[in-house]
Amino acid sequence: MIPEIDWKGLLLPFAYVIVLGGALMTFSTIYRKRKAAQSANLEPWFSPHLQRNIYLSLLHLSPEDGGEKRVPDSVLKAALLRRAVEDLHRLVQIRSAKQACSTLLQRGSVGNDLWKRFQRAEKEMEEELRDVVTEANALAPNWGQTIFQSANEMAINYKVRNHVDDFQVQARAEREWWDKRRKQIRSEFMKELDDETETTETPNKPASDDEAVLVDTPRLKKAVRK
Amino acid sequence: MSDLTHFDMQPILMDPKSKAITTDPNTKASRALTAELELLNTLHRALVTSDSVPPSGVPPPPVPVNPKRGANITKLRDNGNAEYRKGRYAEAQKLYTLGIQMALGRPLWEPSALVREELSGLYSNRAQTHMALQNWPEGAVDAETSVEVKKIGNAKAWWRRGKCLLEMGRLDEAASWVRGGLEVEGEEGELVALLKEIEAKREAH
Repeated sequence: MIPEIDWKGLLLPFAYVIVLGGALMTFSTIYRKRKAAQSANLEPWFSPHLQRNIYLSLLHLSPEDGGEKRVPDSVLKAALLRRAVEDLHRLVQIRSAKQACSTLLQRGSVGNDLWKRFQRAEKEMEEELRDVVTEANALAPNWGQTIFQSANEMAINYKVRNHVDDFQVQARAEREWWDKRRKQIRSEFMKELDDETETTETPNKPASDDEAVLVDTPRLKKAVRK
Repeated sequence: MSDLTHFDMQPILMDPKSKAITTDPNTKASRALTAELELLNTLHRALVTSDSVPPSGVPPPPVPVNPKRGANITKLRDNGNAEYRKGRYAEAQKLYTLGIQMALGRPLWEPSALVREELSGLYSNRAQTHMALQNWPEGAVDAETSVEVKKIGNAKAWWRRGKCLLEMGRLDEAASWVRGGLEVEGEEGELVALLKEIEAKREAH
């Protein structure tokens, strides 16, 4: 015989279990939501990835947006290369920041938030690199193996060229300065000559020695001009 | 960019004829976007027109290099050297300048070390022609560029800028520059002599 179950007596324990479970669940969902919101609100480590945005925008350029045809592969390849170059810049930044960041965290000089932001950036970086390799392989067979090699040379080459430009633009200012300076030296020199018309000595002899250098140059210049 | 599927659509359009990517005229584009698009279009043109790109349309790995451009640059430099020796400095300068343009025009995906090597030699030689023509400021700038591109093993360029500064009477600058050169190059005889010369002039000052 099955004993009669006393449902009324069990009501209280059941209610207890339900309330407890409910309370725990509510707490856990709210807690998790807050956590997620918090980490989502953390400022990203990097500014928006412009090159990546352009690449993906190009992929999504649909005919009604003005482009009659799909964007050709050659443009996509160029855009992907630009994206890889920017990734390398970011990779270097992350690598160099890692050591400093972890040291500072150990010493307690920076908060946990910064470390969390950093770790997230690191994870995103990994995914980004993997994504670029996948995209590269999709555009041309086995390109994924060499795209970052090419991108690395490109990154350095861009830098070298900018560097050269930075120095070469100085040429004009230097020239202007020198022309002015030379005029000044020459007028000083002429004045000195006028002062010493009586003496037939060489003009730079009575002048103090420190001017000997400056005086030399315009004379050479004149000689060339003749 | 919290997940891989998210991205911000950029206001860009493609010119269907030239395939150039431009900003959408109806929206206000940021300056960064405009600059980036220009770089992108330049790269695209280089990819399409360069003869070192295989049919797959992607840049080959950095090595091996197509030797054609390197040979041309070497030829320009050798011709420049020959003109210089004959005393035709302006012609030599023109040849070096052509060489520099060619070296700068090397596709971006080719080894940067090669570009540095070529540029440092060419700028250093052009500095020499500027000096022969007594164009000290241009000589100083070219020699400095050469050093910036390749710091080590470039004693001549260090010396040339030092000499140009000396000729312009910028003694303090010259002295600190040559000292910097000595730090990098070790006790290079010509640099030591130049430093002595500068110091002597400075003391007379």
